[in-house]
Amino acid sequence: MKLNPTQTLLAMLAAAVILAFGPLVLPPFYVRVGQLMVYSAGLAVAWAILGGFAGYASFGNAAFIGVGAFAAGLVEGNISGIAPPLLLLVGLVVGGACCGVLSAAISYPILRLRGTFFAIAMLGVSHVCAEVTNNIDFFQGSLGLNFPSVVPGDIDPANYFYWLYLAGGLAVLLIAWQIRRSRFGAGLLSIREDEDTARMLGVPTERYKRLAFVISAVLTGMLGVIYGHSLGYITTESVYRDDTNLSLIVYSMLGGMGTLFGPVIGAFALVFITQVLLARLLDFHLFATGLLLVILVLAAPGGVLGVTRSFSLRRRPSPVAAE
Amino acid sequence: MSTGILTVDRLSKNFRGLAAIAEVSFAIQPRSITSIIGPNGAGKSTLFNLITGYVEPSAGEIHFHGRRITGLATNRIAELGIARAFQIARPFRDLSVHENVRIGALFGKAGARDVAATTGKSLELAGIGHLAQQPANALTVGQLRHLEVARAIATRGDLLLADEPCAGLNPTETAAMIDVLRRVRADGVTVVLVEHDMPSVMEISDRILVLDAGRLIADGAPAEVASNPQVIAAYLGSPEPEAA
Amino acid sequence: MNLIAQTLADGLVLGGIYALAAVGFSLIFGVLHVINLSHGILVLLGAYLALIVSQTLHVDPLLTIPVVMVALFGAGYCYQRFLIQRAVDRSALGSMLLTFGVALMLQNIMIWVFSPDMKNITPSYAFSSFRLGSVTFDAVRMSALVASLVLLSLLAAFLKFSPLGRVIRATAQQTLAARLCGVNVHHVYALTFAVSAAFAGAAGIVIGIILPFSPSDEALWTMNAFVVVVLGGVGSPAGALIGGLLLGVVNTLTAQYIGPSFPNVTMFLLLVLLLLVRPTGILGNAFSPSR
Repeated sequence: MKLNPTQTLLAMLAAAVILAFGPLVLPPFYVRVGQLMVYSAGLAVAWAILGGFAGYASFGNAAFIGVGAFAAGLVEGNISGIAPPLLLLVGLVVGGACCGVLSAAISYPILRLRGTFFAIAMLGVSHVCAEVTNNIDFFQGSLGLNFPSVVPGDIDPANYFYWLYLAGGLAVLLIAWQIRRSRFGAGLLSIREDEDTARMLGVPTERYKRLAFVISAVLTGMLGVIYGHSLGYITTESVYRDDTNLSLIVYSMLGGMGTLFGPVIGAFALVFITQVLLARLLDFHLFATGLLLVILVLAAPGGVLGVTRSFSLRRRPSPVAAE
Repeated sequence: MSTGILTVDRLSKNFRGLAAIAEVSFAIQPRSITSIIGPNGAGKSTLFNLITGYVEPSAGEIHFHGRRITGLATNRIAELGIARAFQIARPFRDLSVHENVRIGALFGKAGARDVAATTGKSLELAGIGHLAQQPANALTVGQLRHLEVARAIATRGDLLLADEPCAGLNPTETAAMIDVLRRVRADGVTVVLVEHDMPSVMEISDRILVLDAGRLIADGAPAEVASNPQVIAAYLGSPEPEAA
Repeated sequence: MNLIAQTLADGLVLGGIYALAAVGFSLIFGVLHVINLSHGILVLLGAYLALIVSQTLHVDPLLTIPVVMVALFGAGYCYQRFLIQRAVDRSALGSMLLTFGVALMLQNIMIWVFSPDMKNITPSYAFSSFRLGSVTFDAVRMSALVASLVLLSLLAAFLKFSPLGRVIRATAQQTLAARLCGVNVHHVYALTFAVSAAFAGAAGIVIGIILPFSPSDEALWTMNAFVVVVLGGVGSPAGALIGGLLLGVVNTLTAQYIGPSFPNVTMFLLLVLLLLVRPTGILGNAFSPSR
């Protein structure tokens, strides 16, 4: 069942259109769950551009959610007299740009680290950003930061943000898809497989890693900007979250590491499990998440898609290049 | 010194004061097959690591097509046209044979021109066209060596450094590999190999360089080198042939 | 001047404890190449066990060290043998996430059993102190430091001289060769983990008598251990001691002169700087064969 590029594109657009009808038929609770699903899927795909394709699993992408959200909020708060949609656009540009600069700056030291060292160093970056935001008054991290409303008057905010997340998530997915199909994507794949050999073949490994890191950070930051708006009011704790850091890895593990749609499937599944199935078990939440993680590692290390993919590879080997 | 496609000039490399390569100079002629031999620890792999920019030399110069490549990054050197096949095959295990070779064709000197054609041609040259759709981790040791060569020549480098391509292969597989290297040369690629299998070396090489303890002790046609007393001493002096 | 001396002294005391808290993490990373994200929870487990034992038996908390170490030795052995070993051979990320999952589960259990509130183990000499020159040392911190240094020395001697220590080091260096020599690698891994857990537990006791603790501290102690290992190098008690002391001094200096709210910032700046200079840490990997 191999789709050609046009079919893949159509499938993605069709799925997005179907999902866009969600708020019109679902009760409010499920619209909120849907928001979280689509938002998480977008974050997961952005994470996978570096973590899945190039094999550099970040444990600290919440850093970019936080930096994006706070940068946008601080700038938007000081702008008056422009239309709400334009204000959001300004926020997206500012948030994305800040994450781009930050990630480009830290990429030199941090991408020298490999594997788990990189993962933990990114966790450190996330904690440092949180601490700085929290302790320097200018950022208002401990006090909290209000976002101006960007919701057009006649739309239910919950629906509006659902659609905004959906558009953002789709954009991220399309970007990831194009990367995956390109020479750049093949280079990232070779880095994941064996970085030294990749370099020996002429893959500009350093440049590619940095580029993937920055793209991933910018996209994550822009989603963070939307997240900030949807909350309306953010503090350090509400955006720099360690459970987000963890979840982004888990989505890919669940859906299939290194695949394009795996993170989406993983995010949908995990959000549904935690928000709907486990919603009543608040005291039980950490335990359940931990248990799920343990089961996941032991039972399906390749993820749900990974299991099916290795199975199909055995029966009918096919070029994976056009995913 | 005559100019060649690759010129190595008074190249030295010390590891913590120990000379792995000492003042080695030679030039490789275009479209030749040159073998580098020498006892265990003579510095053959270090030499390859120096040429590909994997390790920085302590002194000396390397020129490729007349251009100084000393100190360039490994991927830049690959883009200029030096391809390397590892001794212990390092395929991208999660990818198919075709995808492995395709990545070579997307990078290196090939620079993503005619990717499909280059990939196909490299697979055929290396004699593994029929394995294209296999996952790389399903290949035998012998087949992996061919994949290693196919991926390297897919970069369209005009100099192939092959690190013991025949080590551990049985006579049939060795003959097949020698065939591949000849086809690669016929295609216009200069080949330099490190090899231990002396019959293969004698059969295929235009020229043989002998390293011993980091120094170049002989340089010449196979017959000359085989009768060189210094070479014989170096080989008899080493207690056992190098294990792969 | 006086303030600097006092700050440095406090930093060294704290650093000795950091070193003990990190040495088990370092050992597992050096031998099994697993980042044990449940290390912090094992430290806390030691603290809670000591709290229970010292309160029920009315003994000094430091005297509970042998009991706690034995208990965690057994728990650690089983944990590695029956859970982590199943993930070790697959991927580094997998085993790391597995330990993270276990950490979450245990943290949740601790919250149920001990409540999420801060706890303290208070020894009888809690408020005595003595002076050396112009620098004050309180008895609790000194006893904690002494206990840390003694335990670290014991571990170093164990690794260097005991037969099991030699097998552990050999397995870390050449896993395949060790296996060929008839070493039951899985058993050695489990024993290594058991030793590591035992020392984590001991560290928990020492921490418990000088600092309040709660179940949510586990991430802090795991991160601390990670930083100490990167600073000092993997796998050796000496490396852990150097990394620990460095971290302790940096933390107290930061708190004193920059502000108490930035420990992570300075810690990670230091970490990044160090990684730029020496990607393997100050002492490098003590177990890896020199090349």
